[in-house]
Amino acid sequence: MRRTLLVTRRVLTQLLHDRRLLGLSLIVPLVIVYFLKLFLDTMPPGFDAARYAVPVAAFLVHFLAFLLSAMVLVQERTAGTLERMFINGYRRPEIIGGYLLGYLGLATLQAVGALTAVLLLFGLRYGAGTLATLFVVIWLLAIASVMLGIFISTFARHEGQVFPFVPLITVPSVFLSGLMVDPARLPAWADWLGRALPLRYANNVIQEMIRPGGALADTWLNVVALLGYIVVLLALASRTMREVE
Amino acid sequence: MTATTAIEVTALAKQYGNITALQGANLSVPEGALYALLGPNGVGKSTLIRALVGALRPTSGSVRVLGLDPLRERGELRRQIGYMSQSAALYADLSARDNVAFFGGAHGEEGLESRVEEVLELTDLAGRADDRVHTFSGGMRSRVSLATALVHRPRVLLLDEPTAGVDPYLRARFWELFRQLTTEGVTILISTHLMDEAVLCDRVAILMAGTVIADEPPATLLERGRTRLSVREGNRTDELEIDGQPQALAAALRSYGLRESVEAVSVRPDSLEDVLLALIAGEQEAQR
Repeated sequence: MRRTLLVTRRVLTQLLHDRRLLGLSLIVPLVIVYFLKLFLDTMPPGFDAARYAVPVAAFLVHFLAFLLSAMVLVQERTAGTLERMFINGYRRPEIIGGYLLGYLGLATLQAVGALTAVLLLFGLRYGAGTLATLFVVIWLLAIASVMLGIFISTFARHEGQVFPFVPLITVPSVFLSGLMVDPARLPAWADWLGRALPLRYANNVIQEMIRPGGALADTWLNVVALLGYIVVLLALASRTMREVE
Repeated sequence: MTATTAIEVTALAKQYGNITALQGANLSVPEGALYALLGPNGVGKSTLIRALVGALRPTSGSVRVLGLDPLRERGELRRQIGYMSQSAALYADLSARDNVAFFGGAHGEEGLESRVEEVLELTDLAGRADDRVHTFSGGMRSRVSLATALVHRPRVLLLDEPTAGVDPYLRARFWELFRQLTTEGVTILISTHLMDEAVLCDRVAILMAGTVIADEPPATLLERGRTRLSVREGNRTDELEIDGQPQALAAALRSYGLRESVEAVSVRPDSLEDVLLALIAGEQEAQR
């Protein structure tokens, strides 16, 4: 645990030093939410903007957390610092755990920022329980996305090899996770493919919670699935991260 | 492997797809020795060092450092080895102190803070310890990298071209430090392609095409070289070539008896570079 916390402290120090990255990570979701507002305002009256706005906020957090963690881990490999960590005695679960804890702070800020922007710009009003659930589910999605980024980074030798994974992971999320259409209307295989994406579970919870009369009790399995997703990716990344060439 | 052997490499081979990086390399480094791994670029020096630190899995053969297998007993071994790769392998956005403390922290050493200050002092970095590494020159980055390799007081130092891109003054400081560390019992294996560095070592292992083709003290290696003599006597100048043994020089001059008429004798022995090139040429010839 001591070494995990050392990695966390180092990651946090680097994030705080890189004010440009930190600022952009927080501002970009807000700007995109504003563009979404401009777009959805063109829809006919009676259009349910909330059905898209809150999931899009979740998607933005998912996309940024995934991209950032994947890139940073690959940079560790290309710079030789990952190898140096291993040689100095840091172990795979300690490095992954340290990164996860380090990025939790950023994920929390992104989740709060994107959700607040959506609520304010779209004038959405929810009860405290719903708001808390929405925040927690976007936060869990951010953690799952960090884990997904770490997992994907273990297959890349340099930054360029991460890029093909970006559209491969994030674009199908838009179409197959229920963000655009009800997954039940998709072909069975596409529906199953969507179940491999974390946004699917987050979107299920969000749609349930923003529905009038929606209750967490009716969607708790999706929260469990999201938690399971994080645990499974943690285990997988701990195995696939190459320590020895 | 004897009790005083720090590094033992036996028939080590490493294949990367179709590329053979090492083929049957053997090496035995005694504890407290300053050992050079010499050879041109691409002959497997870095691969050999990376096998010693457990960063790669050999295709065949065995490696022991302080009697430990770098892969199976990595936890125990990593507290006892310090490694410096060819690239600085540092966090450019962290300070020198933060880098050294982060990597040193992995070992859970008592009194880490004071030890970090000690190695920063030792590597002449105390004045810039709080500056971020991206503001440093290549030589300064090498110093941070060396401080990082030293912070946990390793018994064995494995340094992959530690002085590449380092100015002559700093190189001299590095070698002073290496010699001081060996007097304290630290074993140092340094890969280099610089002959003037190799002669500063206790022994030199020459690596060629993934195999150690010679493993001797620098003085013995030099004796393998040829010596060219030019003896001027009146209008006549004799050009002679003898082997590098001191006895051969005496024998060659004996016939002249150091007569008054012998006006000048110039001696040009092979440098270590000449010896290395001759060994490489011989090896290439043998492989044909």
